[in-house]
Amino acid sequence: MSAPFIVSQTAGLILAVVLGLFFGLFLERGGLGNPHKLTGVFYLTDFSVPKAMFTAILVAATGLYLLSDLKILDMQRVWIVPTFFWPQLVGGALFGIGFLVSGYCPGTAVAGLASGRLDALVTMAGIGAGSLVFAIVYPALEGFYFSSSMEGVTLPSLLGISHWVVMAFVYLMAGGMFYMMERYERTR
Amino acid sequence: MEVIMKKDSFWSPYIAGAGLGLTLLATFVITGWGLGASSAFSLLTGVGLGKLSPEYANKLTYFSQYLNVESPLLNWVLFEIMGLFLGALVGALLAGNFRLRLDKPVHMSTWTRVLTAFGGGIIIGFASRLARGCTSGVALSGGAQLALAGWVFVIAMFVSGFIGAALFRRLWS
Repeated sequence: MSAPFIVSQTAGLILAVVLGLFFGLFLERGGLGNPHKLTGVFYLTDFSVPKAMFTAILVAATGLYLLSDLKILDMQRVWIVPTFFWPQLVGGALFGIGFLVSGYCPGTAVAGLASGRLDALVTMAGIGAGSLVFAIVYPALEGFYFSSSMEGVTLPSLLGISHWVVMAFVYLMAGGMFYMMERYERTR
Repeated sequence: MEVIMKKDSFWSPYIAGAGLGLTLLATFVITGWGLGASSAFSLLTGVGLGKLSPEYANKLTYFSQYLNVESPLLNWVLFEIMGLFLGALVGALLAGNFRLRLDKPVHMSTWTRVLTAFGGGIIIGFASRLARGCTSGVALSGGAQLALAGWVFVIAMFVSGFIGAALFRRLWS
């Protein structure tokens, strides 16, 4: 039997809570429930976000492609996040502004509330309101929302190179970034 | 008078990041999909509106994905978010980081902070729906899959955050 494992709905929801527990624990322990640390990267005062984020991506990506190569995990049955190029570029850019202004993103706002931050609760209400705004203007945006679909395209498939070549670039980029951030922090 | 603030204690972001990565990997292996967050807010808003004003909610095509299913609240991401809250609560309590407060930049008034928290939230909520997810579902999960979506989102987010911070220097620093 190879992963991913198909679980019943009840078992799936129990596992969701358990995996969420670890997600929240590591977010909070990494300082990612704190809006000063979360926005610090944009002011070059705190690099917790890129350090935690790119370490997480490196660890999960290495594990994912290693388990796939070892035939322990069947990648064909993993749901790849679909690409809609322009909506995601515009959405990501807008998201950066919302992140900077509020000091949170959706998951970290929940971690912020869990450490007693009432402003995080206000942001959570705002996220709900923003979802409603989107639903209201959706008919006008529908064309753009479904534009530039590239389905489950990955960097290795797009570039036609081995995933380990892409991973080597990711390691180099993240390693270089970590090195520069550590050096910058020491000289400050 | 000098007020001495207790400094919150955290782990190294590399250790926390490795923990996040292993959690995400376990999620891929067990369920076949990644972690999420923003869709839970959209789901709760859609279901809440469906209770308050079913007539209006049914007019919103985008929310029909929540309203035309049998038990919309038995949702994977929603349960994961409940776990996220509990896990973060345990972390904050054990480390002595839990304090009820309105966290804001020192120079900012309380009402301005309420405004930035809510206004920023509206932008995040809208942007997450347009991008089909947020830092969790697209950036982290997609990034780890080496999906183009994740990297487009991450780069756009950081570039616009840096530009925004240069324009609004006194927002947080």
